[in-house]
Amino acid sequence: MAFAAQGLPRSPLPISSSSRPNRRRPSTTTTSLSAPLQPNLPSSSSSSPQNPPPKSKSLLPSSQTLVLSATATAATATLLCGGGGGGFFGGGGSGGGGGGGFWSRFFSAPMAVAKDDEEPGRDWDSHGLPGNIVVQLAKLSGLKKYRVSEVLFFDRRRRSTTSATAGDTFFEMVSLQPGGTYRKADLLRELESLATCGMFEKVDMEAKTKPDGTLGVTISFVEATWQSADSFRCINVGLMQQTKPAEADPDMTEKEKMEYFRGQEREYRRRIERSRPCLLPIPVNREIVRMLREQGAVSARLLQRIRDRVQKWYHDEGYLCAMVVNFGNLNTREVVCEVVEGDITQLSIQFQDKLGNVCEGNTQLGLVRRELPKQKVLLCCSDEDPGEILRQGHVFNMEAGKLALKNLNSLGLFSNIEVNPRQDEKNEGGIILEVKLKEVEPKSTEASIQPGGTVSFEHRNIYGLNRSINGTVSSNNLLNPQDDLSFKLEYVHPYLDGLYNPRNRTGRVSCFNNRKLSPVFVGGPGVDDVPAIWVDRVGLKATIAEAYTRQSKFTYGIVAEEITTRDETSSICTNGSRALPTGGLSMDGPPTTLSGTGIDRVAFLQANITRDNTKFINGATVGERNIFQVDQGLFAGSKYPFFNRHQLSVTRFIPLKTVEEGADKPPPPVLILHGRYGGCVGDLPSYDAFTLGGPYSVRGYNMGELGACRNILELAGELRVPVKGTQVYVFAEHGNDLGSSKNVKGNPTEFFRRAGQGSSYGAGIKVGMARFEYACDHNAGTGAWFCRFGDRF
Amino acid sequence: MASQVTREWSGIQQFPVATQTKLLELLAKLRNDNVNSLTILVMGKGGVGKSSTVNSILGERVAPVSAFQSEGLRPVLYSRSRAGFTLNIIDTPGIIEGGYVNEHAVEVIKRFLLNKTIDILLYVERLDSYRVDNLDRQVIKAIADSFGKGIWRRGVVVLTHAQLSPPDGLNYEDFFAKRSEAVLRVVRLGARIKRQEFQENAIPVALVENSGRCNTNDSGEKVLPNGIAWIPSLVNTITEVVSNGSKPIFVDKKLIDGPNPNAWGKIWIPLIVAFQYFVVIKGIKKQIKEDIAKDDRPLWELRDLGLADRNF
Repeated sequence: MAFAAQGLPRSPLPISSSSRPNRRRPSTTTTSLSAPLQPNLPSSSSSSPQNPPPKSKSLLPSSQTLVLSATATAATATLLCGGGGGGFFGGGGSGGGGGGGFWSRFFSAPMAVAKDDEEPGRDWDSHGLPGNIVVQLAKLSGLKKYRVSEVLFFDRRRRSTTSATAGDTFFEMVSLQPGGTYRKADLLRELESLATCGMFEKVDMEAKTKPDGTLGVTISFVEATWQSADSFRCINVGLMQQTKPAEADPDMTEKEKMEYFRGQEREYRRRIERSRPCLLPIPVNREIVRMLREQGAVSARLLQRIRDRVQKWYHDEGYLCAMVVNFGNLNTREVVCEVVEGDITQLSIQFQDKLGNVCEGNTQLGLVRRELPKQKVLLCCSDEDPGEILRQGHVFNMEAGKLALKNLNSLGLFSNIEVNPRQDEKNEGGIILEVKLKEVEPKSTEASIQPGGTVSFEHRNIYGLNRSINGTVSSNNLLNPQDDLSFKLEYVHPYLDGLYNPRNRTGRVSCFNNRKLSPVFVGGPGVDDVPAIWVDRVGLKATIAEAYTRQSKFTYGIVAEEITTRDETSSICTNGSRALPTGGLSMDGPPTTLSGTGIDRVAFLQANITRDNTKFINGATVGERNIFQVDQGLFAGSKYPFFNRHQLSVTRFIPLKTVEEGADKPPPPVLILHGRYGGCVGDLPSYDAFTLGGPYSVRGYNMGELGACRNILELAGELRVPVKGTQVYVFAEHGNDLGSSKNVKGNPTEFFRRAGQGSSYGAGIKVGMARFEYACDHNAGTGAWFCRFGDRF
Repeated sequence: MASQVTREWSGIQQFPVATQTKLLELLAKLRNDNVNSLTILVMGKGGVGKSSTVNSILGERVAPVSAFQSEGLRPVLYSRSRAGFTLNIIDTPGIIEGGYVNEHAVEVIKRFLLNKTIDILLYVERLDSYRVDNLDRQVIKAIADSFGKGIWRRGVVVLTHAQLSPPDGLNYEDFFAKRSEAVLRVVRLGARIKRQEFQENAIPVALVENSGRCNTNDSGEKVLPNGIAWIPSLVNTITEVVSNGSKPIFVDKKLIDGPNPNAWGKIWIPLIVAFQYFVVIKGIKKQIKEDIAKDDRPLWELRDLGLADRNF
């Protein structure tokens, strides 16, 4: 039996082998295909352009072309469901509209209706007949454009009349809309398409003249039904040849007919055997079986509901190219649902120039493929082996497409990215995945020259392998840059192990200089006017970073640097100083450098491992983060420094409530526990000592206000509670030098009269990026308001 | 000043005869124990009477003293010899400044004492102040930190201004006992000496009255309200401490610089690195692997990998 389940029921395109389903036929199988994925289908326009738009509900499932695109500026993926495949949207518009078609439909729709309302009588002709008589379609004039004011359905079996707007999905088959304007040929074609769609055993159309010159159309039908079934099977017929059954000779004898039907039956069974299992899970299968059992006889309406259910599952799961193409094996105990899932048969990567023309890209294709999600990577690797392509599981999925888009976007190489599934013209039901990329200019230079300025340049994507060189030079005073000139020159070499190696290591070599105020030479409470010490570093750093996940990584490398300590007048200084009560300066404070000369040179190994599995649940961070960092001295440098400086920080973000994830759902309250231990064995110059106090150490104190020490322990707890879209939090923190301040040469903690330990507690509110908090300094017992940017943890 | 020549202890002749006799007796006793010289370090807060005490012991007005002006900023060594015995007394400036211990002053004292041996520490405090505070502790701690805890085994607590009339309701002995107990307690806490150790090796307390109005007894000796001649008594206490079996403190470079924290533990660094690599880094790597295994993969990926088995 034939039943054409089309993507869009209004599609007038079924190619059916039997013009009319016949219940009494002994045969059970026929193929009838609406061929939704067949390319180059003529886009017929059975409906005039003024037709009201199709219900949006039916739009999405039938979308044929969807385009994921991202621009480098806004890293959001946009999904466009376009009406590209004209065959699919038979009734709608011009059919070949590409991505824009979808929108134009929406936008043009209200205009069309309005036009109808404003100018009645101009676009259509009156029937010119007396009112209230029933006219056969054949009797209508072929020249006139009739306005159809009413579409009624008459179910002969149920003996009931319903109007087209009653909402029965069944009537989506009919493309006639009340208020539309149609020619006689349109109406005849509509009737023919209804007759061949397989949903009706019998269908007829009559027109009734109305006194106002419009027509009322009544479609009388008998719904097709088949014998009841109690099992359901879904098969994947994508990439399979469509079988065209042998033409049945009308002059066949009974015996011949039997033979013919039996042959067809056999063929269909073979087809089922050849087909691949589909993704539809068993629970959904069971649900459909229940539907079948409840219903009794299988009716066209039921099949439609089954189709909708199956397609809904696919589309909900992101398989937007999947669709039910046919039901077969009707009139047996088992209903077979044929699905084309949208298997990816080919990956095509295109580069576009600024004008959108296809051009040769600089980026190597392997790099793009590497960033595509695994489903497609598997596919790419098997390009040479077409057998592999047919493996189950490479079905185009929207989520995978979005991920591909995200990954490609994060490379920062493309200004525009489109991931676009297109139907494969050679493989029926196949999808060609098109990735269209617009590359950004590889070289850029920027300069802002004022008295203080920055000059930066970048050369991206060297050899098309995303290697880059970038540099920045900035000075507060370009007229006299030797005062303070900071620069950074960096070379980044991703895919150190090769493009095709799954290991993701990135090499970096950088040359830097920076100047920071030392938090070691800072006074404790009551000690004001501690002369500032600036720490200048110039150095070279070479590291290799291996990414395990998006957030977890292991970095190791070597650092060689020269550290110079300067006082406020920019002259090199060797010791910290403190104002004496007499007004003089005591210049014999803790030594600033290891060598004692004010200039240290040192080379050491550095390793950092970060384990971060935090994720956002409705905007709140939840998970764990552990960071371990170690600097290992190598006897290389001034005074042959040998040291091991290490720190471990552990942070837990514990949600106190399980919440549903969703865009508008509130985040859960989160308890944050944080601990940090740092220590150093061996040579420890003051600029490398751990400092206590500050917004990222112990809140409520200034940077370094609590001390500078060899070993450090910080403990913090914070409770974040969402309140009306923002976050309110309370916290308590403690930092302790573990008595190790005296083990820093010159004991800067004591020299500047700092406590060496301290606690604080407070509360705050987060407004956007900023945090406003009140923190109580437990040592002094006083509190103060702070405004900070970014998160503490 | 370290090179100051040793002069004849002429000041001893200023003392009453009885005192002289006692002193010479004690010195002879020390000589018998093969102690030919004695170096006494006098420390304490400013204005407690350190210099006056030095003057009183030597019997000369060597250190300038005035009622309102604190003494000089440098330590001074006074060296006197008598009958083959050399007595060195080092007077130090007060090490308190602005409510804190002045590390600078401590540093100067330490440098001054380089390559000298300290036999006795006189920690000077006033008897007539009623209270001990955190500052005392800091001073004591600074002394202990500078020269090691061991110096307190050679320590004598000296309470000056001993000629006082105690507050109402207390007799002199009780007041002295209370006050010395309080001071000793602060010494114990400040120097972080264990209670038991402190009890076994009690730090003696000596009383001093430097005032010229000090009462004298029949033989002209300066006596305290309890009738004890304090100079011989102090020297006696000192000789007892010298012969209590503890070692004198030799101030060398190492003691001045303190232990070099940068050198400590260097030898363990290779072990530490091995621990960090094999335990910490490997451990975190393992956690990352677990994270990857646990990660919620989207359903489509599981289906693609053939893990769904049509169950979802």
